[in-house]
Amino acid sequence: MATLEIKNLTKKFGRKIIAVDNISLEVHDGEFLVLLGPSGCGKTTTMRMIAGLEEVTDGTILIGDVDVTELPPRKRNVSMVFQNYAIWPHMTVYENISYALKLKHMGKSEIDQVVHDVARMTKISELLERLPTQLSGGQQQRVAVARAIAVSPKVFLMDEPLSNLDAKLRVSMRTELKTIHASAKATTVFVTHDQSEAMSIADRIVIMQGGKIVQIGSPEEVYEKSADLFVADFIGTPPTNFFDVELKKTGETLHLVHPHFDLSLSPKNAALLQGYDKDRLVLGVRPENILLANEQAKIMSTTVLVVEPQGSHQVIAFKLDENIIKMVAPAQPKMKTGTTIHLNFKQEALRFFDPDSTLAIGN
Amino acid sequence: MKSKTNKKVIKAAKETVFYLFLTTLIAGMLLPVYFIISLSFLSTREAYQYPLPLVPAIKTDMELGYGERGYLLSVWDRIDKEYQTVLDTADLEKMEYYIKSQLGTKITEEELLIETSRLENSDEESIFFTKPRALLNNYDTFFTVTRDAVPALIRSLQIAGLTILISLSIGGLAGYAFARYIFRGKDTLRFSVLFVRMFPGVAIALPMVFILAEANLYDEPLGLSLIYSVGAIGLTIWITASIFMGIPVSLEEAAQVFGASKFQAFMKVTLPLALPGLAASAMYIFLGAWNETVAAIILTQFKPTFSVVVYQTLLGASGQVNLAAAGGISMAIPAIFFTFFLRKYINRMWGGVKV
Repeated sequence: MATLEIKNLTKKFGRKIIAVDNISLEVHDGEFLVLLGPSGCGKTTTMRMIAGLEEVTDGTILIGDVDVTELPPRKRNVSMVFQNYAIWPHMTVYENISYALKLKHMGKSEIDQVVHDVARMTKISELLERLPTQLSGGQQQRVAVARAIAVSPKVFLMDEPLSNLDAKLRVSMRTELKTIHASAKATTVFVTHDQSEAMSIADRIVIMQGGKIVQIGSPEEVYEKSADLFVADFIGTPPTNFFDVELKKTGETLHLVHPHFDLSLSPKNAALLQGYDKDRLVLGVRPENILLANEQAKIMSTTVLVVEPQGSHQVIAFKLDENIIKMVAPAQPKMKTGTTIHLNFKQEALRFFDPDSTLAIGN
Repeated sequence: MKSKTNKKVIKAAKETVFYLFLTTLIAGMLLPVYFIISLSFLSTREAYQYPLPLVPAIKTDMELGYGERGYLLSVWDRIDKEYQTVLDTADLEKMEYYIKSQLGTKITEEELLIETSRLENSDEESIFFTKPRALLNNYDTFFTVTRDAVPALIRSLQIAGLTILISLSIGGLAGYAFARYIFRGKDTLRFSVLFVRMFPGVAIALPMVFILAEANLYDEPLGLSLIYSVGAIGLTIWITASIFMGIPVSLEEAAQVFGASKFQAFMKVTLPLALPGLAASAMYIFLGAWNETVAAIILTQFKPTFSVVVYQTLLGASGQVNLAAAGGISMAIPAIFFTFFLRKYINRMWGGVKV
C-alpha cells in the first residue's frame, strides 16, 4: 500500500477542451477517497490519468513517492475496476484473475493460492471455472473486484463500478466493497456521480466541477459545511433549499429579509457575517433544518403542497412564490395537502453564500 | 366444438401451404446443384441424350457383332430400352478409346481381344458383355486432358492465399485504426475505401495490364492477388472495423492495467475476440479471389487460374458439358471445404462468445 499524490494535474483534449484543470490532491495510505461530480466534471479523466490510460498534459502523479507520470499502466502497480467490468469474455473466471499474476511470473501454486484467497473474499469460489457470459451482473462485478485485489496493487481504482447494477444490489455491494476495503486495506480512489453512494462509502470526498476541485472533505464536512452553492445543491437528497434574502441591520441585530419571512440571526451567525459587506446573500437551509413550529416561534406560515411519506420520516413540499421548498419532518403527525403549517429554521445549521462568487460566507 | 375443428383444419391447411412453399423453394435451390453434380458423373453419350438421365448409369451393357468394316459395337440405351449401334471398326485401339471417352467405361485392349475371340469362336451372330462405369472418368479426363488444370488449381490456391494474407494484414490493421482512433480525414478515407470497388474490372482492364506489365507482374500469381486485394482490402476494413468497434476498448485497457503491454493486450484480448470477424473476412476474400474469372482472363496468358481453365473447357468445339461440370464441381469443392472449415469461427460471431 502507498500514498497517492497528484500535483497540478491538467488534461486538455485538443486545444480548447480542458477536461482537468490544474488539480492537486493527496490520498493517504489505506484511505478510501471518492471523486464525486456530475458527468463531464473530469473525475473519470483524472482516474484514467492515474491509471496511465490517458496521457497527462501537465503536472505530476506520485505513487508512494515514485513519479509515475510517464510510466505505462503496467509499470504503475495500480489495479482498476471498470464501469462495464471489462472482464475478458473469452477467459474463465480463474483465467481472468490469474492473468495478471502470470504476467508477474508468479509460481503456479502461488497463483492458485492467491486466486482462491481472493475468490473466497469476494464470494465467487464456486464460479472459478465459469465463463463471464454465464455470470449475472453482480457476479461479474465480484470477478472484476477479485481480479483487481489479486495483484495487491499500491492503488486501487474504481470507475463507477456500481452504476450498472440494479438499485438493491448496488446498495448491498456498497457495503461489501467497504468490507473488502477494510480487510485489504488498499489505498482506493473511487469515481462516482451518485452523491449518496459517495456519502456512504467514502473516508473523504473530492467534489469536482468543470475540471476543478470544488471541495475536499469527509462526508460530514461536505454535507454540513458545503463550500459553495454547487456543493450544497449537489450533496444530499432532497438538496439544500436556497432563499435570496436581503441583509438588514436593526440596532444590534442582523435580519435576513425575504418576501415571506424576516429572520433575526443569532449572535453566532451574526458573527459569521461580520466581514460581509454586501446587502444581499443566499441563505441555504437543509430540508431537515426547516422545523415545524408553533404560532409563537414561527417565522412564516404556508400550506402543504405535496407529502412524500418515507416510512421513517416524511418529506413535505411547499411553494414560496415560484420555488418549491422541501423539508423533512418526523413521520408523525401525518401531514396532508392543504394543511397550514408554521415553520422556523434551525439557527445553528444555516449556511450563507455570496450570490456573486457562489462561495460560502464565514469559513 | 365446430369452430374448434374448423380452426384445426385452417391451421393444417396453412401449414401444408407453408411447407409446400418451402419445399418448392428448397427444390428450386437444390435442383441445379443436383443437376450439375449428376452431370459431372455422366458419360459423354449420356450427357447429350434427350431427355437427360437423372442418375448416371453404373454399368455399361455392350453387344459385339460383325459389321461392314469389322466389329459392330452396340450399347444398351436406358431410355429407348434397346441396343443401339455406335461404332463399326476393326481397330480395337479405336474401340477402346471410344468406350472410354464416349461411354465413360474403362476396358483394355486385351479384354477387347478376349471378347472378339469369344465372338469368333461362338456360333452366335453377336455376344454380350457388361463393364462397370468408371464414374470419376470425367474428373480424370478433366485433369489429364485439360491443359494444365492441376498447376492452375495450385496457382489459384496460391493467389487466394496471398490475397488473404495481403488483405487481412493491411485491411485488418486499417480496420483496427478506423475502430479505435480518431484521425484527420477519417470519414473521407472510409468512403474512399468503397470508392475503389465502384469500378467494374473490365472497365479498368487496360490500365491494369499496363501497370502489371510495368511491374513485371503480368501473368504472375502475385500480380493477380494484388489486383484482388484492392477490392478485398476495402471489404476487410468494413468488416473488421465493425468487429473491433464491438470489442470494448476497456477490455484492452484492463489488460494494460493488469500488466500487459499494448501489443500483448492486442494479441491476448482483442485478436482472439476478433477471430470470428477475421475468419468471415478471410472467407469472403477466399471466395472472391477463387471465383474471380474476368480479371483473370485478362491478366493471365500462360499461367491461367483454375476458374479460367474451367471457363475454357466450355469454349470451342471440344467443349463438353460433362467435362465442364466436372471442372465446375472441382472448383466448388475447395470453396465449400474452406467455408466449412471457417464455419465454427464464424458461428462464434453469431452465438457463442458475446463481446
